[in-house]
Amino acid sequence: MDSFKKKFIEEASELIDKLEVTLLELEKNPDDPTQIQQVFRVMHTLKGNSSMFGFDLIDKFTHNLETVYDLIRNNQLKLTPQVLNVTLSSVDHLKAMLDEENYDDPDFLTTHNGLIAKINQLINPDKPMEEKQSVQINENKSEEVIHSYYVFFEPRKDIFKNGTNPLYLLDELTSLGKAKVFAHFNRVPLYDQINPEQCYVYWEAIIATENEVNSINDVFIFVESDSKLEIQKVADINLLADEKFLEEITQLANVQKDIGFVTVQRLANQSIARHNKSKSEVVKRERIGYKDKSTASIRVSSDKLDGLMNLVSELVTTQARLSLFAEENSVPGLAPIVENVQKLSRQLRDIAFSIVLIPIENLFGRFQRLVRDLSQELKKDVEFITEGAETELDKTIIENLSDPLMHIIRNSLDHGIEESAIRLAQGKSSKGKIQLKAFYSGANVIIQISDDGAGIDTEIIREKAIQKGIITAERKLSKKEILDLIFLPGFSTAKKVTDVSGRGVGMDVVKKKISEIRGEVEVDSEVGEGTTITIKLPLTLSIIDGLLVSINKSAYVIPLAAIDKIYAVEKSKIYTSFNNLITLDGKQIPFFSLRKEFNLSASDEELEQVVVVNFEDNSVGMVVDFVIGEYQAVLKPLGKHYKTHDIFSGATILGDGTVALVMDTNKIIKDFAKIQVINVK
Amino acid sequence: MEQEKTSKINSYLTFKLGDEEFAAHVGKVLNILEMTKITTVPKAPDYLKGVINLRGAVLPVIDARIKFGMPEAEYTTNTCIIVLDIDLDGDSVHVGAIVDSVQAVLEIDNNQIMPLPTLGSRYKSEFIIGMAKIDEKFIIILNMDAVFSIDEITNLRVNTEINADNVNVEKID
Repeated sequence: MDSFKKKFIEEASELIDKLEVTLLELEKNPDDPTQIQQVFRVMHTLKGNSSMFGFDLIDKFTHNLETVYDLIRNNQLKLTPQVLNVTLSSVDHLKAMLDEENYDDPDFLTTHNGLIAKINQLINPDKPMEEKQSVQINENKSEEVIHSYYVFFEPRKDIFKNGTNPLYLLDELTSLGKAKVFAHFNRVPLYDQINPEQCYVYWEAIIATENEVNSINDVFIFVESDSKLEIQKVADINLLADEKFLEEITQLANVQKDIGFVTVQRLANQSIARHNKSKSEVVKRERIGYKDKSTASIRVSSDKLDGLMNLVSELVTTQARLSLFAEENSVPGLAPIVENVQKLSRQLRDIAFSIVLIPIENLFGRFQRLVRDLSQELKKDVEFITEGAETELDKTIIENLSDPLMHIIRNSLDHGIEESAIRLAQGKSSKGKIQLKAFYSGANVIIQISDDGAGIDTEIIREKAIQKGIITAERKLSKKEILDLIFLPGFSTAKKVTDVSGRGVGMDVVKKKISEIRGEVEVDSEVGEGTTITIKLPLTLSIIDGLLVSINKSAYVIPLAAIDKIYAVEKSKIYTSFNNLITLDGKQIPFFSLRKEFNLSASDEELEQVVVVNFEDNSVGMVVDFVIGEYQAVLKPLGKHYKTHDIFSGATILGDGTVALVMDTNKIIKDFAKIQVINVK
Repeated sequence: MEQEKTSKINSYLTFKLGDEEFAAHVGKVLNILEMTKITTVPKAPDYLKGVINLRGAVLPVIDARIKFGMPEAEYTTNTCIIVLDIDLDGDSVHVGAIVDSVQAVLEIDNNQIMPLPTLGSRYKSEFIIGMAKIDEKFIIILNMDAVFSIDEITNLRVNTEINADNVNVEKID
């Protein structure tokens, strides 16, 4: 595809997303002018961009939508739920319009024409009452539809002869809006020469009105041919609201004879300039108020980012070698320089990694929409709360999370939250609550979705599992094990398959997708109280802070984030311990020897070190030969051959060129625990 | 297009495992390295000897003897690691293979390659493209993609897991 078109589509998608979020905000605060302005601005930008890149259909479509919001922001149309619904449907349609292949689809065309009709109806409503109401409001508030005109009116000297009273005309003129009239008496002759039947006065007026120039022409319609009449538009704004303009013009009128159109125009232009400046300031202020981060950001292609990351990684490795070299060869003056290099490369690494991380709030916005639409469709009253929108994750992880999370939320809405009546009967509030939380925990990001709905009945699951032959009736399972059954393919306890969920193709796919991004998912539930689904994801930063340890002369890296504390313990204590528990700092901590885990013989050393790591809120000790020190490890993948070998998250290359394996402590402990279970049997 | 190119090239790298001589198409060979320190990856299948550092990348290394069901041998000064670029489920994957020695690069025409005898073959036939007789000895031409794929891993892994479980049943008491 043409690269410009591609760019347009990228930007348009972003704009449409932003639009959706704003519309959802507007739903909660329909009178917020900032948001309305934002919507108008987005539509306007979309319209402009689409016409530039040849997307005529989008251009025309957004034009009408823009008109609707123009009317709304000028208070000529009220933002009703109906308008919002039509707009949201239009947003969906806009997304479809970005794919030109849809244009041949008959369904697409039906939707398209239907929406256009609805939008037109909004612009030209059938009810005249609404119009009247809107005109009233208009007079009080808006200033943007007002034009300013300059009127020069010099009636014929004998205008009185046919009964015309110019003052009546001026009255009529001023009734059209706001007016400033200057009467010029400089042609009035001296008292003894006045002919009272003649008109010596002429007028200049500035009138600000929303009416078109024709209304002004109409005022003078009968005297047109008899007088010198000049009616010109000088501005599209209300000049009379500008005090400076008024001041200047009054001054001129007093000093000069006529002000003249040219002068008026000049002053008007100055006024317009001032007006636009203040308008843009207001707009700028509004923009800042809307938390618009886009003003200070640029788009970068992901290829460039990948290249940057690779280079940063190699820099870290090389810097490690440099530090090692400096340690081993004391060259005077080298140490402080190397230290500086280390500091700088650490900072560079931190910034480079923060670039690839984006906050999860984008996803949250999409879910707001989903909950809103679905709750309407299912006729359930649900409140959707999000927490931790600023939590940052790798972009690819966020993309892969979108579908699983949507499915989980759908389930909550469909099966979890009960209908208002049932909830009230149970003593719950009629409004259901779905909460989406994201936060950091150690070396992981946790995403939790909890609802206060019906919960998952483990009995029903057990029944279903027995029915499907997955487990036998005699098998005893813990609550957690029963709940984990929902992740099996084809498992669904839904009483009926709805359009939304229940087909049993959900949770196993969710689990699979999450494992693909090296995450884990767990479910906890209480019948009648609610369900919580917790997703744990690694922060796959490819450079991690780790602890370098030695086991049987091989080096391994344990992620620093997982480590609680390190102890030196006598070997005898370890091998004679009962039940694999060791007392450290007064606490009984389970432990195991990594040497044993790795099927190596026991070491000869007297003293060994126990690295206590955190594992799911517990502490577990891992015995190593000794601890070498802190190390910034550039994580390199082990390759497909070791794909199923998940106790190591990867490997890193040490300063001396050898390879050290990076441990995934969670997986190692789980492995060890499994074998323990077999032991007990 | 690449495939056309490689099929026009008839060069094969020959190497020895014990007394047998094998050949790999040069299109699959990236590099030949001297034997170097291999970092063992614990709890991996036997034939996955470990990983090495190849210019900043981590390269998994397979012991070809073990993969072929031969007894392990001591590494000598002739032992080399052949770095291969093989196709694994559509992805290009680099892997190193430890061989006893590397011989030469030979030109073998397609018409010199004979299919394997179906019976009595020590090795599974899907790994072997054919055999060629050069200078009175038989050279087995290998399908490197198949030989160094990871399919065998799952089979082997199951075995080793069961073994490990049996071993660990002994308690520390």
